[in-house]
Amino acid sequence: MGFDLQYMLSLMPILFRYLGITLGMACWGLVFSLILAVVLALVRVYRLPLLDQLSQLYISFFRGTPLLVQLFLLYYGLPQIIPLFVGLDAFTAAVIGLSLHFAAYKAESIRAAIIGIDRSQREAGLSIGMTEMQAMCRIILPQATRVALPSLMNYFIDMIKSTSLAFTLGVAEIMAKAQMEASSSFKFFEAFLAVALIYWGMVLLFTQLQNWAEARLNRAYNQ
Amino acid sequence: MIQIRNLSKAFGDNRVFSGIDLDIAEGEIVALIGPSGTGKSTFLRCINFLEQADSGNIRIDEVSVIVHNARRADILALRRKTGFVFQNYALFAHMTALQNIAEGLITVRGWKKLAAHDRARQILEDIGLGDKGDHYPAALSGGQQQRVGIGRAMALDARLLLFDEPTSSLDPEWVGEVLALMQKLALRHQTMLVVTHEMQFARNIADRVIFMAEGRFVEQGKPAEIFSSARDVRLRKFLNQVKTY
Amino acid sequence: MKGRTVLLLLTLLVSIGVGGASLAASTVVKVGMSGRYFPFTFVKQDELQGFEVDLWNEIGKRNNYEVEFVTANFSGLFGLLETGRIDTISNQITITPERSAKYLFTAPYVIDGAQLVVKKGNSEIRGLDDLDGKTVGVNLGSNYEQLLRDLDTKGTIKIKTYDTGIEHDVALGRTDAFVMDRLSTMQLIKKANLPLEPVGEPFERIENAWPFVDNDRGTQLRDAVNRALEAMRADGTLEAIAVKWFDVDITQ
Repeated sequence: MGFDLQYMLSLMPILFRYLGITLGMACWGLVFSLILAVVLALVRVYRLPLLDQLSQLYISFFRGTPLLVQLFLLYYGLPQIIPLFVGLDAFTAAVIGLSLHFAAYKAESIRAAIIGIDRSQREAGLSIGMTEMQAMCRIILPQATRVALPSLMNYFIDMIKSTSLAFTLGVAEIMAKAQMEASSSFKFFEAFLAVALIYWGMVLLFTQLQNWAEARLNRAYNQ
Repeated sequence: MIQIRNLSKAFGDNRVFSGIDLDIAEGEIVALIGPSGTGKSTFLRCINFLEQADSGNIRIDEVSVIVHNARRADILALRRKTGFVFQNYALFAHMTALQNIAEGLITVRGWKKLAAHDRARQILEDIGLGDKGDHYPAALSGGQQQRVGIGRAMALDARLLLFDEPTSSLDPEWVGEVLALMQKLALRHQTMLVVTHEMQFARNIADRVIFMAEGRFVEQGKPAEIFSSARDVRLRKFLNQVKTY
Repeated sequence: MKGRTVLLLLTLLVSIGVGGASLAASTVVKVGMSGRYFPFTFVKQDELQGFEVDLWNEIGKRNNYEVEFVTANFSGLFGLLETGRIDTISNQITITPERSAKYLFTAPYVIDGAQLVVKKGNSEIRGLDDLDGKTVGVNLGSNYEQLLRDLDTKGTIKIKTYDTGIEHDVALGRTDAFVMDRLSTMQLIKKANLPLEPVGEPFERIENAWPFVDNDRGTQLRDAVNRALEAMRADGTLEAIAVKWFDVDITQ
């Protein structure tokens, strides 16, 4: 059986049409998961009573159960308990599921970065009259970002590829499209290679962005 | 203008210091000396609440704070009256020298960035680093970093400047420039409380020297008295050990 | 599709508010399918098509429905049905006692059988009796697993469930055989260019129909679809569509 390059190339434009859905889920997931992760990290860093325990529980659950299970519970399970949730569309559900899942991991990365910053940085901020919040936002978080960036990018890449699970909810993204086409042409190798190249391309792009961001953040540390 | 009464601090069972009283007049330069581990730094850090003492009272000008009841507003008020210079400089690593000095003006005083940067540039000239404003701490020598650290504390016109062993982390070649800057401030009658091992500085610049040991102010007085005719036996022993002056 | 990215939050709020809205008789019928079951439902050059699609387009015409096809992984289809996000599943769903207890089925529209398939040249397995100690693959969620277990009276058959790739594993020799419906097996062997061959006669009569949720709307739709199905059978449309895809009439 030869390799049908022609077929593989013909699939590319079709897959590209749905790239927006994959990227859409990943990018919205990135935004919401980051916001939630920072909140969780700060709650844990400041050991806010009750909220700290809740955060730990949250992190434990969302790291401890598979993403697919979480998506199922969110999209198929929740509406059975709260009928209101039937109106939740698949794309939104996927974004929520991805956000909740990855926020748990990112929270730990961010927390590690924050506690890794020398404590005298915070003290210096406080000593000139800053509030805790000001010291956190102006001094600690900017420095923690640099430390956390590689880890956060790891999770973002993971998120991009995890979007393929959304087909279980009915979201037709590139992985689903590749599988569906393959099911009719029976040219599985070509179809999967095509979608693999597209995922790779996306990740290469974001890795470039990361490099650029790191270069900027490292400005202060070059001799 | 600075009055500290009955300040005590313990870490668990470890009684660091207790019942300390201290008055500092405006424009006075006070050096705090003593063996390592006697709580000098801890005492200093209690004044601006980087540590919280267990009991006592701290008053700077009109701001009077009962230590164990201190509200956030009180602590902030105290911190705004003081400046702190750290042993390891603690410059904001992600900001340039200029930004370090301007940061307090912008974030705490609410100044506009332009005005803050102008003032910061003045201070940089003042401390002899006019051309280093765009440098990041990683590109500055220890002595330069510490001078910027002093500049950052100066920017807010603090009533009292606290120095926590400002030269202890410096290579010998940089100690001089930092002490020179501190002397410059002293000549401008900036009120200063300096924890230090630099006996030369204590002897030549300070108005008063306090010897702290075993959690108490054991002996204090003018430098001449302390260095030539110390009464306490522990102080005499200590001075013998640091006999480089 | 672009609109989503702009108003995601609003969409979220609105859709939750609208959720659980009335299921009053509407002409929009949502039909779920996997899009990965050639030639029943598949995608070619980004166009969803197949036997099931043709049938529903016809039903839609006759009953004045606006048919909306929803694709999802097979394992998600029943969840979509349960939560009312689709009205029915058109993916060769076999009528079983368990399913009949839960759902309202239409009359069967495809009569099929289960087929055992092995790697070409496999002389060990010539029929159902040769499965002692062998590993047999079935698709996740399909009724073939239950079928096999019923046949496996001695408990010696190792059953392996697959999400995808069932035919590849057998072609590669990792699994000894698989069971799937006869119709798609034929198509698969014809088109996939894999070293596979069917063994034994098709066993177990299989009737496939459309499941509906047991409520007012479900009952209404099921009855209306039954009427359309009967009409299509009577005037030969049903047979025509079957022959188009399978060269034979699979509907009886």
